[in-house]
Amino acid sequence: MKQVLEGSQAVAEAVRLARVQVISAYPITPQTHIVEFLSDYCATGKMNAKFLRVESEHSCMAALIGAQSTGVRTFTATSGQGLALMHELLHWASGARLPIVMAEVNRALAPGWNIWVDQTDSLAQRDTGWIQFYCEDSQEVIDTTLQAYKLAESVALPVMVVLDAFFLSHTYEPVDLPEQEEADRFLPPYEARFELDTKNPCTFGPLVPPAVYMEMRHDMAAAMDTALTNFARIEDEFEQIFGRRYGAVEAIACDDAEIVFVTSGTVTSTARLVLENLRARGEKLGILKIKLFRPFPFEFIRKALKGAKKVAVIDRNFSFGASGIFAQEVRAALCNAEVHAPVFGYIAGIGGRDVTPEVLEEIYWKTKNNAVPERESVWIGLQEVRHGN
Amino acid sequence: MEIELTEREFMYPGHVGCPGCGAAIAMRFVLKALGEKMMMVMPACCWSVIAGPYPTSTLKIPVIHSAFETGGATASGVRAALDMKGDTETTVVTWAGDGGTFDIGFQALSGAVERNEDFIYVCYDNEAYMNTGIQRSSSTPYGAWTTTTPGKDWKKMRKKNIVEALVAHRIPYAATASISHPEDLIRKVQKAKSIKGSRFLHIFASCPTGWKIPSEMAVKIARMAVQTNIFPLYEVEDGLHYTINLKPKRFPVREYFKIQGRFQHLTDQDLEVIQKMVDDDWALLLRKAGEHA
Amino acid sequence: MAQKSQAQLTAENPIHIMPRSTQSTEANKTGSWRYLRPRYEEKTAPCSAACPAGEDIGKIEMLTTQGLFKEAWETILRENPFPGVCGRVCFHPCEGACNRGEFDDAIAIHSIERFLADTAERNDLKPLLERLPSRPEKVAIAGAGPSGLAAAWFLTLLGYTCDVFEASAEAGGILRWGIPLYRLPLTALRREIAQIEAQGVRIHTGRPVTADFLKDLERSYQAVYLACGHARTTALRVPGEEMDGVGDGLKFLEKVRNGEPPPVTGVCAVIGGGNTAVDVARSIVRLGGEALILYRRRRRDMPAFGDEVQMALEEGVKLTELVAPARVEKDGGRYVVTLRQMKVTGEEGGRGRVEPDDDKTIEVVVDRLFKATGAEAAEGWHNPPAADTGTLALSHCTLATRDGRNTLAWGGDLTNDIKSVVHAVASGKQAAIALDTLFREGPDAILPKFDACVVGNGPSLSMEVYMGGERRLRNRHVVSYGEINTDYFRYAPRMTQPRLVREERVRTFTEIDLRVSGNIAMREAERCFNCGLCNQCDNCHLFCPDLSVIHDQSAQGRHINYDYCKGCGLCVVECPRNAMTLEEEIR
Repeated sequence: MKQVLEGSQAVAEAVRLARVQVISAYPITPQTHIVEFLSDYCATGKMNAKFLRVESEHSCMAALIGAQSTGVRTFTATSGQGLALMHELLHWASGARLPIVMAEVNRALAPGWNIWVDQTDSLAQRDTGWIQFYCEDSQEVIDTTLQAYKLAESVALPVMVVLDAFFLSHTYEPVDLPEQEEADRFLPPYEARFELDTKNPCTFGPLVPPAVYMEMRHDMAAAMDTALTNFARIEDEFEQIFGRRYGAVEAIACDDAEIVFVTSGTVTSTARLVLENLRARGEKLGILKIKLFRPFPFEFIRKALKGAKKVAVIDRNFSFGASGIFAQEVRAALCNAEVHAPVFGYIAGIGGRDVTPEVLEEIYWKTKNNAVPERESVWIGLQEVRHGN
Repeated sequence: MEIELTEREFMYPGHVGCPGCGAAIAMRFVLKALGEKMMMVMPACCWSVIAGPYPTSTLKIPVIHSAFETGGATASGVRAALDMKGDTETTVVTWAGDGGTFDIGFQALSGAVERNEDFIYVCYDNEAYMNTGIQRSSSTPYGAWTTTTPGKDWKKMRKKNIVEALVAHRIPYAATASISHPEDLIRKVQKAKSIKGSRFLHIFASCPTGWKIPSEMAVKIARMAVQTNIFPLYEVEDGLHYTINLKPKRFPVREYFKIQGRFQHLTDQDLEVIQKMVDDDWALLLRKAGEHA
Repeated sequence: MAQKSQAQLTAENPIHIMPRSTQSTEANKTGSWRYLRPRYEEKTAPCSAACPAGEDIGKIEMLTTQGLFKEAWETILRENPFPGVCGRVCFHPCEGACNRGEFDDAIAIHSIERFLADTAERNDLKPLLERLPSRPEKVAIAGAGPSGLAAAWFLTLLGYTCDVFEASAEAGGILRWGIPLYRLPLTALRREIAQIEAQGVRIHTGRPVTADFLKDLERSYQAVYLACGHARTTALRVPGEEMDGVGDGLKFLEKVRNGEPPPVTGVCAVIGGGNTAVDVARSIVRLGGEALILYRRRRRDMPAFGDEVQMALEEGVKLTELVAPARVEKDGGRYVVTLRQMKVTGEEGGRGRVEPDDDKTIEVVVDRLFKATGAEAAEGWHNPPAADTGTLALSHCTLATRDGRNTLAWGGDLTNDIKSVVHAVASGKQAAIALDTLFREGPDAILPKFDACVVGNGPSLSMEVYMGGERRLRNRHVVSYGEINTDYFRYAPRMTQPRLVREERVRTFTEIDLRVSGNIAMREAERCFNCGLCNQCDNCHLFCPDLSVIHDQSAQGRHINYDYCKGCGLCVVECPRNAMTLEEEIR
């Protein structure tokens, strides 16, 4: 059914459709609306779920680990500082092989307090064993959240659905909201592979010596690999019912592109506009949108960028002492290919700074006019700020 | 002693607790008192190791080990899930040491109790971070040596009163208990089981290794702590009604301190100061119970 | 359809290994950590070591607490056939040694012993005791007093045929003819004698063992045990002693017991300070006379039981201390007794040392005078010979083995330093064990055999141990108060045995101490620490952190699982009664 929904509500609706049973969340701007909607759904009975109003994000993830281990479908949402606080337990959730799904609203990390979009928070968790999806619009958020449960439960790993602060979370968009019956057809009720059960007692998370820990981690790694193929199959099923699919990556006009932008999140939709403009002026631009970041779709990326003469990665994040993170990952994907284009890394939109079409054009021309990247990462739009110390 | 206790054991032997481990005794009593319809959340503590390594466990009930800070929060999640599954019989128990209760786990505990989550939180207190090698916690008593309060830097802060902190939350039931008084401990566990909402048990679980006493003294030292009023046995209902379970003969504290290696450095003057502290605390407790010294 | 595809996906993506434990820790045998090993080991209670008959007192109290009165009574009978007697008249050294005495009050062991005998009497119980197979040897016993009857009892349990020859008309010796009825009623005594006969002992009354009869006995019996006692009062050796009015204390008691009390109106003096003197004095009071005890030392030095002296004084008996008779003179119908005054010049062996206080004397005028300064064997040949080759002088009896002839043995007052009923029983037991060993293995085996069945550090012996009973597994170590974990006991006062009040006592010879109920006896027995014995309190099982104390069907009721026991020692310390031992682990 077509509706105009705020991005946060789109998340909440998807959670409702997924028949989540236990929700635990701690408010942090700009995730608060998600939490408030879900709280309301639980109170009014629109959702049959328990809502735990824990006292911090760390406790939030702990509660979900407890709940999921007891055999129910769970959900949480957080952002920025909250995600950072959860860090220890993100490792725990994946190590415990719990298919928890979380909506993560990309927000800059303090100090100073900055509530606007920045990808550093979610990317700083890229090693935690969570599957990560970066969404471009509200429709994708709804669809990805539903798919996330199916994928998570198929490989027993948790999934993070990432959306931009304000640009997605607080923007109203028209979306096609699935009916409950359709959602049920796609996503069955949760069946736990293992759970705390007095009739069949066992102990989760005991001491694990070096002799077996490595094997457990390898099993997780193998599951991550499987997630890649499973995702394609799940998208097949989703497309059958809902008529939509996204792909782990989306290659737009890459076949004959000389320069390919690599984007993620809402920057992608701005890039689509710039693509139209530049193509109209005869520039051979392509866009590679990365949706699935973990597991990193190496093959898809190599294939999509095979013909490019130059690759320009736009990172709304930074790994201090190295470079933009998407750029690092793309470089790593390409480095063993016999032939590959140079990768230009650009840092833009940090801490909610707008990534306008002008910014993307600047990036295009910089890339076109330089044979090789001048340095690992070029920061776009830096200004001289002069206020007292 | 007249105790009605099931013959069944809910633990296997072969666990790796130190000889004379008070925490093992405490666990055994609590398991027997609660029976098999229980699930245990176990944040990092000595028992995380005592329970044995993968693929074994010494406990016959379902257990979820959890991160150090999360005792109260993980239990909240387990309880919510059980409720959603329609299970009204299973008791959720958090089993934590003093570190995971008084310090790093305090926030989650306070949060869970403030929400009046329906679970029993058991803190077995060996008065330091024993699992990591005898470092000081806020539960370490005044006067104690630990590896982080060595030599002349022995702990000069009082032991945090965790029961009083939770009583301030108007917790439905909070009680102290000791491994040396099993009838009292078991009665309290069974009483806690019958109450809904948050319930807290503070169990004195002596640690021969960390307190530097011979292993065979573990129960006796716990008894002495009760007999000297250092660890009074009492209950508080709804954060308001105090019941003192035992009024011992007020043995002087000196004997208790002198036989423990962790207190060897205390002088007679120190012991006098401590005696006064213990007497004052006891008088305060009596007042709260509506009685006089 | 969604279900199926999900199930398919899940099945295609199994988890091969994750942090989840499903096995127990039982494969980890933590017993390998141990360097000290606990075990159940019962030890000796101080009361049983102090009891000359070596009664298993801690066990008796434990059985009484459990309401197993018959079993408790049988436990006494294994070591002493006279619980009803001793429960009334013994000086209970057990109570002096009782560890509970250091905690609050000693257990009233004698009251419980008497209660058990009374219970057996009331329910007409027949004991079921272990007996060894019949032996061909026959033993003759001279004297049916406590020593002779005890010897007969034990020898019969050991399989021998016994004939007891008693000069007087009824068996019992001092129990029948000496101790007054108000201390030991006839029914109680007769019952226990009948019980001895029920075991197969033949008692022949009216058959005094003369020197000639002894020769006959020596021919037909492999051994003769002489237990004739000290039937003759020692002389005062003062002028006037032979007069009519000067009587023999023991003979007086005998006449009273025989139902022919001599007239004792007026003032009657009794010379002496032992139980006999006090018995005589108190009997006089009951017969209407005024009694006056004249003793050469102080009241506290009197060998008579303190309780008896106290009651005597309450009953109106007068006591004059520090006087010794010099001479007796007649004065009309009365007698003047001149007494030398004594003074204390020091302490010696727990008693005052006295000597005449210059030439000071006093005189008392009395209607009668009784001697009760001590006793000795009625015939010189009753006494055992001096130590010699072939003569074995043991702590409570003497044995003379003679080549080609039968064995002679002596016991009871004839051999004992302390002349008491329980010491007489000890004599009987020692003689029985000595004779049994002599018959089976020869004289050299006697002392080693004694060593093998001694209680604590001796000299008391245990017949149960000698006969191979469970008690033989007990460690000799005598448990001290410091070895009791008193945390498990609460202060509780000692029971009070009800007693006739003074006014009732002085009128009759009715028994003074009254019966107690089972409730009182059990509560008193419950106060007993059961030093060194396991009373199944189960503390060991309760406190074991390693679940290594396992309940089972054995007599102990539990065993230690050494696969897992880490040797922490908690069980040993929390055992309130030192019934466990911690020792070095030997690998």
